[in-house]
Amino acid sequence: MQQPAEATAPETTAGPNPARATAREPIGFGVIAARWMRLNRDRIRALLIGALSLVAFLIVWHLLTRYRVVFFVRFTNVPSPLAVYDSFTRAIHDPKFLMHVLLSCRRILLGFSLAALIAVPLGLVMGRFKLIHEVIFPVAEVMRPIPAIAWVPMAIMLWPTNEQSIVFITFLGSFFPILVNALHGMALVDPVLVRAARCLGAREFAIFREVYFPSALPHIFTGLTVGMGVAWVSLIAAEMISGQYGIGYFTWEAYSLVQYADIALGMIAIGVLGLASSLLIRAIGRLAMPWGRA
Amino acid sequence: MNEVATRAPKGRIDVRNFALSYETIDGSVEAVADTQIHVNPGEFVSIVGPSGCGKSTLLNAVAGFLKPTAGTVTVDGEAVDGPSAERGMVFQQYSLFPWKTVRENVEFGLKMRGMERSQRERAARTLLGLAGLEAFEKHYPERLSGGMKQRVGIVRALATGPKVLLLDEPFGALDAQTRVIMQQILTNMWQRLKISVLFVTHDIDEAIFLSDRVYCMTARPGSIKAEIAIPLERPRQQPMMMSSEFLALRRGLMSLIREESLKAMGGEITDLGMQGLNIELQGHSLADVL
Repeated sequence: MQQPAEATAPETTAGPNPARATAREPIGFGVIAARWMRLNRDRIRALLIGALSLVAFLIVWHLLTRYRVVFFVRFTNVPSPLAVYDSFTRAIHDPKFLMHVLLSCRRILLGFSLAALIAVPLGLVMGRFKLIHEVIFPVAEVMRPIPAIAWVPMAIMLWPTNEQSIVFITFLGSFFPILVNALHGMALVDPVLVRAARCLGAREFAIFREVYFPSALPHIFTGLTVGMGVAWVSLIAAEMISGQYGIGYFTWEAYSLVQYADIALGMIAIGVLGLASSLLIRAIGRLAMPWGRA
Repeated sequence: MNEVATRAPKGRIDVRNFALSYETIDGSVEAVADTQIHVNPGEFVSIVGPSGCGKSTLLNAVAGFLKPTAGTVTVDGEAVDGPSAERGMVFQQYSLFPWKTVRENVEFGLKMRGMERSQRERAARTLLGLAGLEAFEKHYPERLSGGMKQRVGIVRALATGPKVLLLDEPFGALDAQTRVIMQQILTNMWQRLKISVLFVTHDIDEAIFLSDRVYCMTARPGSIKAEIAIPLERPRQQPMMMSSEFLALRRGLMSLIREESLKAMGGEITDLGMQGLNIELQGHSLADVL
């Protein structure tokens, strides 16, 4: 709500004569549109250049595949953008493709949510209580560098079904980034704020809820964003190795079945889904932290 | 003082035979030694002294953040055992919760006490109104100026109706003009509330302007060197700072502190020598000035 009011303030002071002149007269639509354009110049510019760059990418891709360029890399069998578009229009009417997408999303949702539900409280508690930190931190540090994909054989042994082991891999991938960032956030809590809360009669749990948690929240959201990215990486790898369904499996299967356009379609779907989930987390973060507006 | 005492019967601070030391690799270091101070109910008392003399340590012990190594700290006869809402504190770093709006910050102590939402909202609005901050109740602290932040900090500390108010160099981070205004606001607020105040500062003018009594501390290990009554009339106004009475008090306090700063330096330079150098210490230690 306050964005436009604030944004116009520097404009009226910066632009001396024209701005003052228009302020007196009744403001027409054209004037408002022009002002809006001027104030959002950077954003419009970024949007335009972004769109152009995407178009350029498509053109280059099209040309490379159209002329089957071989220059160190071979574009002989690479599908053209049009071929991918064709397979996309077919896929969105194909319940099987949608099932692959939905299943991957479900696995992400389960694995990631479990990771967030465990890693965030664990990080907060580890940051607050020394003993818990001392006990858990060494184990976490040893486990952390192991890529989630390296867990695939172990996961298959551990869990009775394939589905569970894939969710487990996704869980592991996002768990450590979330934990590490939550811990980091706890380490940066301003001790003066804790003292201030104490002086106002806050007890241990209240300090946790009112000071430590909100203070660590920006870092927790950084962890969630990173964790979401790693969750997708881990999921796709796990699906390619041991899955029967899912968008990673779909992509791998397309290769086996020599449906090259579907490979690119699978990749683009993964990219779009990954981007969408990151944006979702960022949006939730903005809602959860109204004080941190830039 | 008696007249004040009858009006506000609560909030007497007693610090007796107080000492506080901490352990380092080289053995124990004494920060504060053998200190006696008291604040009568409704009295405004300041502690001044050279930097690092332990005045903040003393205040933190009254707040309940530090345990004395020896001696006792009591408020209304009850030993201080940990921080509590009965002793409101204002910090130099403002220490407002950035994730809470101005009103939510002021409400915090009431919320901790379990006061119902609508009730504490009303209380917070009233308090913010008194401080002239009602227009900013929905702002986050980030958007306030330093002076406004500290006004919120003071209002927040007062919201729970504490017996005493402890301020640790609250205006130290403000620019000179804002500081003067804040001193006037604080003295006006105190005039109305008559709450016991213990105020730590290194600014001699500030201490004299605000206080009924000023304790001057020695260099480390800190202890009380002198206790000076400030008989300036109330309510206090800024122009008083130019009066001869004020300046005389200032001169006295300044020379006391200068002695301490010299002692901190090792006593090699005599007072005369310092006058020759024409350095005014203004409550800083010699090490800071040189």
